Amino acid sequence: MVCATPQQQATFVATYAAHLMGCGIHTSRVVRNTKRVSESLNFAINISVFQKSMILTLLHKETHHTFSEVVEIPALPISFEHNSELSALSWEAIDQKLPFELLETKYNAIISKSRIDPLFVLLLVGFANASFCKLFGGDWISMAIVFSATVVGFFVRTQMLHKHINHYIVFIASSFIASLLASTALIFNITSDIAIATSVLYLIPGVPLINGVIDIVEGHTLTGISRLTSAFLLIICIAIGLSITLFLVRDSLI
Amino acid sequence: MILINILSDGFFAAIAAIGFGAISDPPMRAFKSIALLAAIGHACRFCLMNYAGIDIATASLISALVIGFGSLWLGGKIYCPMTVIYIPALLPMIPGKFAYNTVFAQIMFLQNMNEPVLKAKYMEMFFSNGMVAITVIFLLAIGATIPMFIFHRKAFSLTRHKN
Repeated sequence: MVCATPQQQATFVATYAAHLMGCGIHTSRVVRNTKRVSESLNFAINISVFQKSMILTLLHKETHHTFSEVVEIPALPISFEHNSELSALSWEAIDQKLPFELLETKYNAIISKSRIDPLFVLLLVGFANASFCKLFGGDWISMAIVFSATVVGFFVRTQMLHKHINHYIVFIASSFIASLLASTALIFNITSDIAIATSVLYLIPGVPLINGVIDIVEGHTLTGISRLTSAFLLIICIAIGLSITLFLVRDSLI
Repeated sequence: MILINILSDGFFAAIAAIGFGAISDPPMRAFKSIALLAAIGHACRFCLMNYAGIDIATASLISALVIGFGSLWLGGKIYCPMTVIYIPALLPMIPGKFAYNTVFAQIMFLQNMNEPVLKAKYMEMFFSNGMVAITVIFLLAIGATIPMFIFHRKAFSLTRHKN
């Protein structure tokens, strides 16, 4: 086997960093992990992170060559599994001085692992939103209605995201469908406003919201604000979908 | 009766955290910690608000602190970063009802532009609900992150396997 050149190693570090950033990890952890990996490969590194791309400058300590990498940050689904496994990999790399080939193999194994079964997630989300309804004071019928509305809405969301439809449209459509289904609660004499309110909550982008605040507090203001901005745009889309339902049923709500 | 209320609050919060967490694909070994912390955190806020008479913002901050410290403790045991555990655990505390009321008030405000009394009512509703929603989200994130600042050396090496 041919030994990997420093150039290939530098590209690997850039891919690693972009993947971390893409799957929803707050910026300071991405920087720390990437520094660890590059140090294990004998690089000194400086990183600038932006919302859609990142710039890495790596200095190879043996050859004194400098490599500059600009990578696009891919739009990946959020994955906490990748977060913890890739963080652990960065410690392993530096503690056990992993050779480059092994590091790359382990990285590929982690990112190609399959996600949790989508059908199972669908059920869990339904139950989650139904218990949310309970927490807000909804009764059992409202919970059942919220459960079915959420399952349908989440299914629509997954299918539409799968077809690469613009995600603003996906959020408007799925929040409209979920809240419209939940408004069937108006037929029964129950806590229907709670049912409608909770039916769209599975769409709230909680992870970018919290990551954005963490980034700002830790001084990565630029990425923090951009995370919050994109989260707020999605929340506005949820509100639009919900408003369409409210327009349709508002007379029976007051 | 009070005990049953607290327990059922924690129970439903745990289910909510597991379900919303599952969207973000956490490692299987983290689910137990997520459920435990979500239940403790939400029940803690429930008690503070209903029995101690503390407002929702302060109660959320205190509960988020509890979740943050809990994730620091549990994260080290299962080799998971703090955020992997505490973000799903915080999700049930996001004030959805207030966010919904904000949107509802906005629509009703625009529908009642010609009626000063109703207009003022919905304007007030919009701002009070919006303010609560934004403050609570911010305090939740800050509260859970504070332990990371205090114990940064431990927090940054939770995924390190010690030989």
